[in-house]
Amino acid sequence: MDIFLQLIANGVLLGGVFALISIGLTLIFGIVRVVNFAHGELLMVGLYAAWILSSQFGLNPYLAALPLAVVFFGIGAAMQRTIIQPLMGADPHVQIFATVGVGTALANAALMIFSADLRSVNLPWARQATDLFGIASVSRGNLVAFAVSVAATVALMVFLQRTHLGRAIRAVAQNRYAAPLMGIDVNRIYAITFGLGTACVGLAAAVLSPLYPAFPTVGSFFVLIAFVVVVLGGMGSLEGAVIGALIIGLVDSLAGYYIAPDLKEVVYFAIFLGILVVRPAGLYGVRGSE
Amino acid sequence: MMRFVLPVAGLALLFLLPFSIIPALDAEGAAFWQHIFVTIFVFAAMACAWNILGGFAGQLSLGQTIFYGIGGYAAAMLNQHFAIIPWLAGPVGAAVAIVVAIFIAWPCLRLRGPFFALSTIAFLEVIRLLAIHFKDFTGGSAGLPIPMFVGTEMRIGWAWMLFREKENYLFIAFGLMLLCLAASWLVRRSRLGFYLVAVREREDAAKAVGVNTTAVKLSAFALSAALTSLVGTFHGVYLNFIDPETMFSLPLAIQVAMFALIGGLGTVTGPIWGTLLVVPIAEAARGWLGAAANGLHGLVYGVVLVVVVLTMPHGLVGSIGPWLRRTLGLGEADGGSGSIAAPPAAVPSTGRAPVGEPILEARNLVRRFGGLVATSDVSITLRQGEVIGVIGPNGAGKTTLFNLLSGFLPPSSGTVRVRGADGAWQEPSTPHQFAAAGVARTFQVVQPFAGLTVRENVMLGAFHHASSTAEARRIAEEVLATVGLGEAMNMPARSLTIGGAKRLEVARALAMKPRVLLLDEVMAGLNPADVTASVELLKRVRDSGVSIIAIEHVMAAVMALSDHIVVINSGKMIAEGRPAEIARNPAVLEAYLGEDYVHVEH
Repeated sequence: MDIFLQLIANGVLLGGVFALISIGLTLIFGIVRVVNFAHGELLMVGLYAAWILSSQFGLNPYLAALPLAVVFFGIGAAMQRTIIQPLMGADPHVQIFATVGVGTALANAALMIFSADLRSVNLPWARQATDLFGIASVSRGNLVAFAVSVAATVALMVFLQRTHLGRAIRAVAQNRYAAPLMGIDVNRIYAITFGLGTACVGLAAAVLSPLYPAFPTVGSFFVLIAFVVVVLGGMGSLEGAVIGALIIGLVDSLAGYYIAPDLKEVVYFAIFLGILVVRPAGLYGVRGSE
Repeated sequence: MMRFVLPVAGLALLFLLPFSIIPALDAEGAAFWQHIFVTIFVFAAMACAWNILGGFAGQLSLGQTIFYGIGGYAAAMLNQHFAIIPWLAGPVGAAVAIVVAIFIAWPCLRLRGPFFALSTIAFLEVIRLLAIHFKDFTGGSAGLPIPMFVGTEMRIGWAWMLFREKENYLFIAFGLMLLCLAASWLVRRSRLGFYLVAVREREDAAKAVGVNTTAVKLSAFALSAALTSLVGTFHGVYLNFIDPETMFSLPLAIQVAMFALIGGLGTVTGPIWGTLLVVPIAEAARGWLGAAANGLHGLVYGVVLVVVVLTMPHGLVGSIGPWLRRTLGLGEADGGSGSIAAPPAAVPSTGRAPVGEPILEARNLVRRFGGLVATSDVSITLRQGEVIGVIGPNGAGKTTLFNLLSGFLPPSSGTVRVRGADGAWQEPSTPHQFAAAGVARTFQVVQPFAGLTVRENVMLGAFHHASSTAEARRIAEEVLATVGLGEAMNMPARSLTIGGAKRLEVARALAMKPRVLLLDEVMAGLNPADVTASVELLKRVRDSGVSIIAIEHVMAAVMALSDHIVVINSGKMIAEGRPAEIARNPAVLEAYLGEDYVHVEH
């Protein structure tokens, strides 16, 4: 029983990590209607940034989190303006390839600059275990990542529901042709949304950097999970992404123990394919958006 | 004949460059260059194979290395366990690849755009992880060698596909590229190629001309998989060693798709041009910067891809090709037939056969969408040579009725029966079964295959019964002349006016030589002269023995054409009868003009 509770705790915390990466992806898809295949590589860039800030300037990655999020907002908005905006009317396959190209270029640039070595932020505090209500033992860094993930998701939801800009963003998501008739600058909304989605990745990179090393292909590891999470939850749904992330976190933890460590990914890819076949709109998605 | 000279010369040059020209110039560097050209040929072959699925069929797979890996593992495992030569392992791998492709296609092909791409990535990951897990079969992540020596036995030479001299590999790699190129060229010119493009452009319209869209996509998937597997077999042997990371590689799958896109998606030669542009740039850059530049080729690929996508979304061939043809003053190779006069005997307009036996029967059709009953207990009998007009206010459920009569929607209850050419009644259920039974339809919102020419659009209808491409082309030209689009034959369908597009819809349906024609508002938005012309056209079609059901709002046309009129409102049949009766029916007037108006009238 103890081991089961421990696995559940690990799974939930891991789900928090996945959620933080996935909400950015789902936000961008839900509003801009573009699947950003470079999402994982942006996370990789963030992990390297946190590592440089920490190893060269001695900056604690947790302190770097907000500045990184702001910088990544700028990177995302710039990427939307220069690469995605010209392709907004193009075929989906052209958009896919544009983001695939960005991802490929970033991953290989990292390989050239930093080589394939693992670069870890040295923050022993984050790796130390702490007792969780006497039922499980988890690392502090995981708890922080989970808390930040919850806070970021709640903040994003409140922003979308309560602010004028948030309503404008939702309006664009619901009808991109009617929104400009209401005086909304749709292209600005796209840039802001892409920026917000990318800011989530910057935030995620900072809080994950004490737990996960940076290496050139770390992005594809996370982005595949993020795709699974987002499809499971329903493309474009923030709530769906959180629920999907928790499910995949638990699957990862339980399947890794009860089935085989090297087959846990097979299990969640099987779930992913099953969802695509049975209910392509995902748990919280709107039917037809697939 | 001239048009074959240039490609053949180009291909010959491409082969001779590494085989004799470079070795003559630089004997020491020859082995290096021959390796690069083997790589180019292998990638070009894979890009061509990918293009059959990704380009022609528009199914953007990013999991193509599943089949490359299957081919490689077939070579290595059959070599290791049974000492079977790669020439036999290749076909075995291709057969396995076809089976796996069909298995994968079943869930994946229901998905569109990015979701299809994601699902192929997921399958690739699953297969890679399984290959790592089942070590006993596959050697796990340690991989499998394809050695030149087993004990004292030498496995070298043509039988084993292993050579000390690199130039022998050039023959096989080049041969594979030619094979994939030829396959892709043949597909593009065949009926399958037309069908694939039709499915890519407008899936619904493709169904309406009788294309079994699932079967067509499956064929593309299977063919593409088999070719890719053959390449994988050779490349696995060439590399002497395979492991899950290199064989079931996502980056390689992306690269292959990239080459095709850069060269020109859906063009026959594009994948080869794309590979020829990008691989040498990347290799040359690596040559200049040395081994320190690990990752440089990937960086080059990524940057070139983004630049190409932003500056020429149709790729090298799609963007530069037309410009080159204009500049050099070369016309389209198959153009020039221009307009032809309507063949006088094609559709005889004299004399009308009497209305005959029933040919299509709908019994008690009901269709619900959630709580909404869009079609409520509608029964219609269409007789041989008869014209039935279907009228009713907007939103009455007329188009839903058509979708039920052509298999695009299954009825919630009720049946649709069609009498086949042999006189036997059939109960088709899918659009292509309806088409096979002789039912053709048009769409209210016109559905041209926008990227194809007007003639090619109509050829897709003609393929329904034509036995060859040439015959389909001849039928298309006849039908186009009949509907007055002869002049526009070589124009892209997207450039037609709305009136032209409506006539194209009719032409495409007529080219199917249907026995039952369902016309959905083909006269809406036409000017009076065009309406008159259309009525005359449809009368001639009717006189040739085709039975017609027409949804129409243009009352003059309905009254002039119909033998029988069915009035639908709120999904129900509220009246039916001869045109003169319907014009006086109070229920009809009420539905159209409101109750008050009826009282005023009477």
